Amino acid sequence: MGWIARGYSEGDAVAPVVKEMTQEAINLFEGSAGHSEPSQFTDEEAARETLGTSGTVASGRMSISFALEMMRRHFGSDVFNHTGTVDLRFLRPVRPGDTITFTGEVTGTSREANGQKVNVKIEAQNQRGDTTAVGTGSAIVPNAFLPPEE
Amino acid sequence: MVEVDNRVPLDWDALEVGEVFEKFDYVLTQEMIDEYRRGVMDPEAAFPTISHKVDVRQFNAKYSDNGSVNARCAFHCYNSPVPGKKLTVTAWVADKYLRRGKNYIVTEATSVDEDGRLIDRVITHELKQPWEVGKKWDG
Repeated sequence: MGWIARGYSEGDAVAPVVKEMTQEAINLFEGSAGHSEPSQFTDEEAARETLGTSGTVASGRMSISFALEMMRRHFGSDVFNHTGTVDLRFLRPVRPGDTITFTGEVTGTSREANGQKVNVKIEAQNQRGDTTAVGTGSAIVPNAFLPPEE
Repeated sequence: MVEVDNRVPLDWDALEVGEVFEKFDYVLTQEMIDEYRRGVMDPEAAFPTISHKVDVRQFNAKYSDNGSVNARCAFHCYNSPVPGKKLTVTAWVADKYLRRGKNYIVTEATSVDEDGRLIDRVITHELKQPWEVGKKWDG
């Protein structure tokens, strides 16, 4: 797979990822790991019993997956799938019917033994403008993927 | 036939940071990967291991509690898993803390495939009074 050498600078925007959350998507996510028993994610009664909420919520790990996608698209899979990280705090629930937008901005870079570490601030908001998650991500971009230094 | 629950009721005060759980393994199938990718609406999603919640699996097998809410999660990518390969997971209690009167437990796990490739590392902070946030969410 081809790639283009590119530099990274503080303030660079990361292209957003937008997801329309549905109960079907939540069920697929949970089912993919064989979690078939009713849970706060898949069953309204279980959500009521465990959380006291009126409906199901999406696992925070789905938000991690969406942030991973945004970061992978920015850095490329050759880089991000080997050196990438995402770290999110979950502030509000994501529910079926929500539209969640993940955004990112490069906050800084530093030299590492194996390349350039690029740090990214991540935020997720729902369709009402409420922040559902905040955190950081990073990738170490090998020198081979960076433009030659002047 | 009624299943017997042999789990130990969770005693947060007695829980030891550093407790390492018994390793477990599973085979990540192409079907699992495809279903995960449909769920997250990303045909190139490379780490379906996140949906397996491997860091809390052995914890939940050993301890019974009132459930939890994921307060924070960190995921480190090393090598995307290959379908059909067996993954071996090592999980442990990485930390616990009390914040604003609520109890949190931090679990951590690494997954390694049958060829010895490190796949990923996941760290999760779980709040152990889920109804406290549930009330707030619906309030």
